[in-house]
Amino acid sequence: MQYGILIAGLFVFVALSGCSSMGVEPWERDILAKEEMQLTTDPIEAATDDHIYFSKEASSGGRGFGGGGCGCN
Amino acid sequence: MDKRSITNALAAATCTLLGSTAPEPVLAQEEPGWSFNTSLLYYGEDDDRVQDLSLKTLSKRTFVDDRYLSLGLTVDALTGASPNGALPQSVAQTFTQPSGKNTFTTPPGEFPLDDTFRDTRVAITADWEQPLGRLWAMNIGASASKEFDYLHLGLNAKISRDFNNRNTTLSGGFAVAMDDVDPIGGTPTGLTQMLPVGDLSNRRGSESKDIFDVILGVTQVVSRNFLMQVNYSYSDSSGYLSDPYKILTVVDGVTGDAVPLLPLFPQDQGPSHLNYFEHRPDSRSKHSLYTQGKYYMNGKVLDASYRYMTDDWEIDSHTIDVRLRWPVGGDKYLEPHLRFYTQTAAEFYQLSLIDGDPLPEYASADYRLGDFDAITLGMKYGWKTGGGNDMNVRLELYRQSGNVSTSQLIGNQVGRDNYPDLNAIIFQFGYKFGK
Repeated sequence: MQYGILIAGLFVFVALSGCSSMGVEPWERDILAKEEMQLTTDPIEAATDDHIYFSKEASSGGRGFGGGGCGCN
Repeated sequence: MDKRSITNALAAATCTLLGSTAPEPVLAQEEPGWSFNTSLLYYGEDDDRVQDLSLKTLSKRTFVDDRYLSLGLTVDALTGASPNGALPQSVAQTFTQPSGKNTFTTPPGEFPLDDTFRDTRVAITADWEQPLGRLWAMNIGASASKEFDYLHLGLNAKISRDFNNRNTTLSGGFAVAMDDVDPIGGTPTGLTQMLPVGDLSNRRGSESKDIFDVILGVTQVVSRNFLMQVNYSYSDSSGYLSDPYKILTVVDGVTGDAVPLLPLFPQDQGPSHLNYFEHRPDSRSKHSLYTQGKYYMNGKVLDASYRYMTDDWEIDSHTIDVRLRWPVGGDKYLEPHLRFYTQTAAEFYQLSLIDGDPLPEYASADYRLGDFDAITLGMKYGWKTGGGNDMNVRLELYRQSGNVSTSQLIGNQVGRDNYPDLNAIIFQFGYKFGK
């Protein structure tokens, strides 16, 4: 649990201090607003891949929650 | 009176003269309505292993004020099975089916699998997303899925906040799942022998497992054409984590061959060789670190991600995933995809058990817990229809190859195929329509 709190604290610290100098102004978001620049461009394809690899490999999640919900013989 | 107040006064005076009030500022937002994301997937493994035909839909209703409801439905029709963990032998092997009602026989030199396997899986999801004030947003969701022998129920919630002019987003969330396993023929007791047809004395009723996930993430706009995300996630599973259909061959310590079994009575139908059901620990903790970057270069978009996972079963894995979306005129694009995956074996993974040796506490020969590498190569083609809807097709090839060190091999196992390498094809057609 302590490990988790430490990681959470580190995340907040790095994000709010290190990242504050990066970024764009609101009127510079034309490219970032494009559909192909979203982190998950195709949610169905992402869910399909997560399910296939969850069934066939010993790792899952990362992008989101660990997935699962299958016997996956 | 400064310049701004003069402007305001003039605007107010003009509006008064025109008989209207100054308009409220309008924030850009999506129009309310439904959008539908649908796909048909074929997933097929070679050597008569798993085949899946899957229909998926994701329906999204947009409401005013950036609120969304997403409803997902997946129906899978599955046939075929994965190798059951037993090693190929130079003679034919007979096994009792998981139901305990019949047997199946595997020819010499082949990985045993019960090809009578059939299943249908139905999965549903529901998610609600909305802003909380100007900088916060939240998401809550529920999921359920049902197979013949498996029931999953899950809940999840996520909250995020924007910082630094919305260039940084911090998010945190959790998910809980309560799954029930109700194997055909009952759940076998771990590390007990596969018994003849009709003998279910080492089977018991259904089992359950609970999964708790936490995720913390940072999304950062680096520049006008570069976006990054870093996520840390922790997952804790407890309960019945074994696979009720997986077994281990019990081999002779010198020859490495499976130990033959003689039926007690000539009319007995049952396994030809000695096998034990696998047994895994009843808890597992995983830590993952995931990072993804999206980079825009003159119309092309590079999407690259890396994930490191480590757990207390001593499995470590690395995953690299790279896609490049390449416009090819108008609204069409090509997207090549390369994924590389490698994992180390679980500490209790072993190819076989040795006859006469004391039984270990845990053991599994499930190839998914072994040491292997996997590669995926794919290509996607997407275009817009005349009506402005999106269509795409993709074809991918997935290949797993196991790494079995010769030090693990006993006698005749040297020179035999001991790891069931996997080749699969993924073909998916996607159609997106609506607002």
